[in-house]
Amino acid sequence: MTVIRRVLALTSGRIAVAVLAVIALLAALGPLLAPQNPLATSVRTLADPSAAHWLGTDYLGRDTFSRLLDGSRVSVLGSLEVALTALVVGAVPGILSVHLGRAFEWVTLRLTDTLVALPFLLFAVAVIALLGNGITQAMLVTGVLVSPLFYRVARAATLAVARSPYVEAAIVSGASLGWIVRRHLWAKVLPPLAVALAQTIGTGFVIVSSLTFLGIGVQPPEPTWGGLLASDLGYLAHQPWAPAAPALLIMVTVWACNLLADAVRDVSGEAGRALVDRRRARVHRTDQAVTTPAGGAR
Amino acid sequence: MTPPTTQHTRSEQPGTATEPTAAPVLSVRDVHITDRASGREIVHGVSFDLTPGRTVGIVGESGSGKTLTCRAALGILPPHFEVTAGSIEIAGTDITTLTPARWTALRATTISAVFQDPASYLNPSIRVGAQIAEVLRVKTGLTRREARDRTLELLRAVHLRDPELVRVQYPHELSGGMLQRVLIAAAIAAGPRILIADEATTALDVTVQAEILDLLADLRERTGLALVVVSHDLAVVAQLCDEVLVLRHGEVVEQGPVRSVLHDPRHDYTRLLIAEHEQYGLERFRPAKEHA
Amino acid sequence: MLGRSAALFVPVFLVATFVTFALRSLSGLSPARIQLGEEATPEAIARVEAEWGLDRPFLVQYGDWFDGVLHGRLGTSWTNGSDISTLIGVGLGVSLSVATFALLIGVVVGFVLGTVAALRRTTWIDRAVTGFVTVISVMPAFVVGIVLVAVFAVGLRLFPSAGYVPVAQGIGPWIAHITLPAVALSFDVIADVARQLRTGLIAAYGENYVTGAVVRGLSPRRVFFGHVLRNALGPTLATLGLKFPALVGASVVTEWIFGLQGFGRFANDAAQAGDVPAVQGVLVVSIVLVVTFNLLVNLVLARVTPASQRGV
Repeated sequence: MTVIRRVLALTSGRIAVAVLAVIALLAALGPLLAPQNPLATSVRTLADPSAAHWLGTDYLGRDTFSRLLDGSRVSVLGSLEVALTALVVGAVPGILSVHLGRAFEWVTLRLTDTLVALPFLLFAVAVIALLGNGITQAMLVTGVLVSPLFYRVARAATLAVARSPYVEAAIVSGASLGWIVRRHLWAKVLPPLAVALAQTIGTGFVIVSSLTFLGIGVQPPEPTWGGLLASDLGYLAHQPWAPAAPALLIMVTVWACNLLADAVRDVSGEAGRALVDRRRARVHRTDQAVTTPAGGAR
Repeated sequence: MTPPTTQHTRSEQPGTATEPTAAPVLSVRDVHITDRASGREIVHGVSFDLTPGRTVGIVGESGSGKTLTCRAALGILPPHFEVTAGSIEIAGTDITTLTPARWTALRATTISAVFQDPASYLNPSIRVGAQIAEVLRVKTGLTRREARDRTLELLRAVHLRDPELVRVQYPHELSGGMLQRVLIAAAIAAGPRILIADEATTALDVTVQAEILDLLADLRERTGLALVVVSHDLAVVAQLCDEVLVLRHGEVVEQGPVRSVLHDPRHDYTRLLIAEHEQYGLERFRPAKEHA
Repeated sequence: MLGRSAALFVPVFLVATFVTFALRSLSGLSPARIQLGEEATPEAIARVEAEWGLDRPFLVQYGDWFDGVLHGRLGTSWTNGSDISTLIGVGLGVSLSVATFALLIGVVVGFVLGTVAALRRTTWIDRAVTGFVTVISVMPAFVVGIVLVAVFAVGLRLFPSAGYVPVAQGIGPWIAHITLPAVALSFDVIADVARQLRTGLIAAYGENYVTGAVVRGLSPRRVFFGHVLRNALGPTLATLGLKFPALVGASVVTEWIFGLQGFGRFANDAAQAGDVPAVQGVLVVSIVLVVTFNLLVNLVLARVTPASQRGV
């Protein structure tokens, strides 16, 4: 995948990928890495950070650091679930809306308009509470609610391809439909979808954290980043610094997702290739500029 | 750096062509313009004087530096571009002494301009009448009502049919020729002494082009406006100008009264330009040759 | 103009209310469970459901409910039998105070930041503003809310940490109680407005009509306010219209943090209690809010830029 290589050629792309890789590792290995049992209570409640408890303990004496590590899994899986649901629910009708005729187009457009107009956190809270309290259902519902982004992106790119002269030329010259899709549609539709996916994973983190903060989608003893913040809120007078760790984790993750989205946007398409080439050229030139005088001085 | 110096043919005596009775309103002296970003000099010394009621033409292909010269005189050079030598005086004031506020005061009242692609030089979100009225109210202190009446007069003065309707239309509702008339009306609203027409007729079709040129000539006769006409088209310059500069790669290759330059071109490039235009009926602008 | 915008939102409203109403059937919840508990006999359940009219065909119920919605009647609560419109009306004052104040802060601060960044672009000021905007754009409202409570209410004791005082009891206390939640909600708006305006202004400054206005002798201030801003404002306003639903939605978390009895809190409580008509009522009200706000945005847009600009 040339896009991945080009993203890694950008400093911002490398930072984003590195941060997200660390977060993904936390999610995969978090429970193993946790120094203590995240559910084990102790008499040392609301303790300050120490060698035994790096981030202190909560109101039940549970180790905050372990809870943070253990809670990363829910956030990561949840946001991925949101993004993938949105991708499928949004992109497929988005592409088909260009090809399946007027009625389908009209209906999907109206549905998209409606979804955009819904205050989604309000709807997510209401729908999840009414339809059954489980993180999977919660994320599926949220995924549907944020799917209009994918619908629009996929539809716009497909429309651009369908109306472009080179596709008409390909059809006239007798190219097969499969070939056109592979050669032209994917090339135009995939990059914007990748950008939207990265963005939505970031949005997903915020939504998962918001829902778990409200206690929606998880059973109480199980730790989540949002749940940690909610319990910290109750003990701000004792531990005003406590929200810092989960808050920073959420923000850094969202920031890395946005950074990745920007990097993908920057490197896809003609403009992107030129950008990377220009940066490479500049790096190359500075290398020479640095080496030449050094050699001359000696 | 500079290309090999080409033959720099001046007219016989600068005085014979343009009667220097009045003081020049625009005086360009050996202006050099440099692109700071690349360090390249783009314009290598342009000079001319412009007195009220007269017209100077600047001809040359695109990239020859004619537009940069005009923009320098208007104080709107693009970023990185700078006048690195020579001087420009507008109504006796050296433009290097102008503060931004004095520039604002000078534009529209003393020097003004119209450009190619008139649609893009008008704000797409504002009715054209309001854009002219804005100039009137800001520059001449007219009241709202007076400005409206004066706008209608101006639209009539640039020979627009149905000024009442045009006044309340948006730029996208008007044709290219009409827009150029509107732009001219806005440019002359505050009674400037100099009007720069930079490729003002280029994108228009031939009949409209002729009408706009007639309009400019008419304004010059009636108001004593001094015109700078920039074009890549020798025919335009021939129709309107007293003096002409031929620019190539930022160099003035020939300069003099229109008649003598067209009648007796001394530079190969000028001959080439004239030869290219023979078939477009340039002959009728060169009666001197036929008479001779 | 208003007619066309309204026509655009009619299908949105119809679909949204239908989905909202379908929630009851999908959830399988019933007032009988709430009133009679888990051990109720099927006969008792049927009797209670008949009292609520739930034994009628789905579409008849929908028609009845929709007719009520159009007349401002949102039904009665399953849990305590009170009038839902009244309950929501109480919370709406709180939520609208906070949302309006947040919008005000967001637009003013975003406007200043976006303008300064655009006018000083490629300088350190631009980079500082862009960096700041990037930071606040990744801060979710509930995180900002918690930090604000920790710093300004618990730490510095500058603002009350929770509760609401109606404006009737004094402007000062009212502002004091809604400031922190409004600031928490405003970050997202600030980031969006600042970014969109910066992009729009820079694009507009590259246009020929700016050169045209300069050559016509207009001052930089007049060129900015009269010509550049006008054209940069369109996309910014459109973003604001898209942002509003998120603002209404985020009230669920901010009202929780700041202990406000707004309609977001009401929605959450009603949903947790399984009070379906109350939830439906809140959702309908939120849709009405969003649609009304977008109609307003469209009206302003129509005044700022002519039809051709918007591709209508």
